[in-house]
Amino acid sequence: MPINEGLANLSHYAFVITVMAYALAVLAFACDFAFGRHAIGPLKPAKEQAADLVAVGSAPRAADPGTPGRPPGPGSGGTPPGPGASAPATTPAGPGTGRAAEGMGRWVQVGIVLTVLGLAAHILGVVSRGLAVHRVPWGDMYEFVTTVTCVAVIFFLFLMFRYRAYRLGLFVIGPVVILLGLAETVIYTPAGQLPPALQSYWLAIHVTSITLATGAFVVAALFAAVYLLADRHAKRAAAGLPTRAGAIFRILPAPKVIDQLAYRTVLFGFPLWTFGIIAGAIWADEAWGRYWGWDPTETWAFITWVVYAGYLHARATAGWRGRKSAYIQLIGFGCLLFNTIVVSILIKGLHSYAGLS
Amino acid sequence: MTGVRTPPTRRGSRSQPGDPEGTASAPAPSFSIWGWARWAWLQLTSMRTALVLLFLLAVASVPGSMLPQEGIDPQAVQQYYAAHPSLAPLLGRLSLFNVFAAPWFAAIYLLLFASLAGCVIPRTFRLAGSARQQPPQAPANLSRLPHAARHETTLAPDEALAAAAAVLSAKRFRLRTGDGWISAEKGYLREAGNLLFHLALLVLLAAVCVGGMFGYKANRLLVAGDSFANTATDLDAFHPGRAVSAADLQPFTIALDRFEASYITSGALRGQPSRFDALIRYSPEPGTAMRGYQLRVNHPLSVDGVRVFLIGHGYAPAFRVTDGTGRVVFDGPVPFIAVEQAGLTSEGVIKVPDAHPQQLGFAGVFLPTAVDVGGRLGSAFPAPLNPVVSLVSYAGNLGMNSGPAQSVYQLDTSGLRRLPVKPRPLAPGQSIKLPDGDGTLTFTGYRQWISLAITYDPGTLPALIAGMTALAGLLLSFFIRRRRMFVRARRGPDGNTVVDVGGLARSDAAGGFETEFPSLADEIKAAGQGSEPAVPAPSPAPVPGAGTGGGPPAADDATEEE
Repeated sequence: MPINEGLANLSHYAFVITVMAYALAVLAFACDFAFGRHAIGPLKPAKEQAADLVAVGSAPRAADPGTPGRPPGPGSGGTPPGPGASAPATTPAGPGTGRAAEGMGRWVQVGIVLTVLGLAAHILGVVSRGLAVHRVPWGDMYEFVTTVTCVAVIFFLFLMFRYRAYRLGLFVIGPVVILLGLAETVIYTPAGQLPPALQSYWLAIHVTSITLATGAFVVAALFAAVYLLADRHAKRAAAGLPTRAGAIFRILPAPKVIDQLAYRTVLFGFPLWTFGIIAGAIWADEAWGRYWGWDPTETWAFITWVVYAGYLHARATAGWRGRKSAYIQLIGFGCLLFNTIVVSILIKGLHSYAGLS
Repeated sequence: MTGVRTPPTRRGSRSQPGDPEGTASAPAPSFSIWGWARWAWLQLTSMRTALVLLFLLAVASVPGSMLPQEGIDPQAVQQYYAAHPSLAPLLGRLSLFNVFAAPWFAAIYLLLFASLAGCVIPRTFRLAGSARQQPPQAPANLSRLPHAARHETTLAPDEALAAAAAVLSAKRFRLRTGDGWISAEKGYLREAGNLLFHLALLVLLAAVCVGGMFGYKANRLLVAGDSFANTATDLDAFHPGRAVSAADLQPFTIALDRFEASYITSGALRGQPSRFDALIRYSPEPGTAMRGYQLRVNHPLSVDGVRVFLIGHGYAPAFRVTDGTGRVVFDGPVPFIAVEQAGLTSEGVIKVPDAHPQQLGFAGVFLPTAVDVGGRLGSAFPAPLNPVVSLVSYAGNLGMNSGPAQSVYQLDTSGLRRLPVKPRPLAPGQSIKLPDGDGTLTFTGYRQWISLAITYDPGTLPALIAGMTALAGLLLSFFIRRRRMFVRARRGPDGNTVVDVGGLARSDAAGGFETEFPSLADEIKAAGQGSEPAVPAPSPAPVPGAGTGGGPPAADDATEEE
């Protein structure tokens, strides 16, 4: 079937609008940090915040049901016993619990509206590209990037509304603008038919799950990066060391919360990635006669999987939690990026479909 | 592979919760052989070792993607040897050109799987044992639990507890009752899912081994008009599994009638292939009738459990060579290999060992759509719109009767003399006359060839089942939470019954208990009676920074692995 040029053009313009809307949203999110009024409530000294974290960490032992009425163990370190940490859970979900949950403020509202408008244009762009080429619109690198960023924004908006993490918008939409801008300028590929190797319904299954997983991993990696910065800030503040950009970190969710968000995002992405690899193996078996052949792209998908598996295990291993596991997550994301960019463009293999030459 | 934390037990448990830095994963060894062995086993099965092995596996895979690999592209390995004559043998000795079959790679994954088995198998037995275990007693002070609520009811304590028990048992909690309390637990499938995932990985490894033992792979290049039989001698490359011999091959025959390739003719993707069709005929066994099949990429042929894949294609220009004595010493197609994809410029050689008075050799380039680009010939399109061959002619000794086996795609020019023939592109039907009466070569036309991969892998289905099982286990272990609910009821000072509800998520990776608990507490209250609002349990020290409730996810580690 011939390419529908009108729809292909529509897709391109939709992406241009998307980039502009997201860029304005980033500006609004930035303005929130710069000019927004933040109802932070009584400012707590940084030291006290750190003490809260210790209390949170020690909560489980004090609350172990196996030892009824046991006094707080030595692990509590003299801080108030843990139950308070999660007592608010009994109140129904309502605003006002936790720092991140306070109202969003005018600038954030503007940013979110622009993000949602941009997302609408983004989805229009992806869908019209798909209609133009009569197939799923993730057959080459340009299409992959435009779709992955779309997925990342959807994931982020979901997490933002669910966990009221409004102020992380700057850190997610910012990189999305850069990625999408690069996609439109540097790696733009005109709409076209796929080579025979990609003419399979497995493209829709394998690449879709990989795309969804990548979108989740993008968001998780950005959260991990913000967590590392926020955690460093909190630790320095707790130690009385000079800190920078305190105004930003004070209105972000607590580092632990960001870390937890990152973790849950990986929990979502990892099974998708696993399924993507399995679907890819089935397709490879259909197309090349073997389900696994250590093609460079397969090898790096495996490495990525192993590192994320390591991240999930590290979070359950004493001595590897917190910053260390966040670094592992970032390494995993580095492997993913390496696979998407370096391997698929520079290293010759069976997966060389990027459409860039 | 997630959340491999086990309850503290005597043996084989990974990284115990009470262990502050994870250092005490194994006790200090007692100085006997048995003690050392036990220590080594505990080390191997500790979570830290598993993590290190996992990362080693990732790092060890890297060279396999960076260096050419024997199992994937042996020709590229040869080229690497030629390009780096001093470095390559060193890398070769370290198995870096065959990483995924290297002993050190096998050592890593076998250790990892031993570690996995050492952890998972005892846990499986423990899970089986705990399947009939009752939930623990309710703690005395439920308000100290991570989740707690309190309400009052006019029911007697016994009745209030019975009502709560009805609510929890309708939600399929496992119940235990005591004097003035109920304890309930749910979500045993989480641990089962975790184990299922890890056991499935062990099965996956076994399935890969089965494929390596009993499967085989082969390749065959087939020119249109030709046929071949699936026998070891008639295949170009044959890689049998360890337990496979040439006699085990399924005896089918395949003939290629025609190969058709379509290419995009306009636009930015001009020249990109859009469709490949190989029209073949095959017979499953000698003597049976040939059946037609349209072989395409992504649509393999399945014969007798073996599958045949279309994995490549190219041109085979055909030549007729007459030697100095006037005899036709060569007449047929010669497969050329594409050196670039945009125009399918292909290279190949013609060897004529039977020519007299001297052997003849030709190195050639085939251009499907020849165009003159600034004085040089190039191919502008992969389809044969203007097929042309350009040849360099040699005479002398081809060296085929001695020395190592030669590639059919390379000419050993050491014993050959280049003939002074003016290079002239030949169109079909045109000839070169060799000097000194050495003979004539005619470019008679061209055919197309396809390359086929023939594979048999009995481990594929088990591997697929193991993979899907692993995924199912993963989902269970991520999204099922194991949680306990406790209810205590006592007569209050005003004569009403005070009902305390407490909740504890033993493992809640994806979160959700913070919303499940309040709704359970509400249901227990509603089952008790009226409509008084639930009174949140007194909380000694609310921690704003932790931000729980409906807001950001509960950041307390209590909800993670216990």
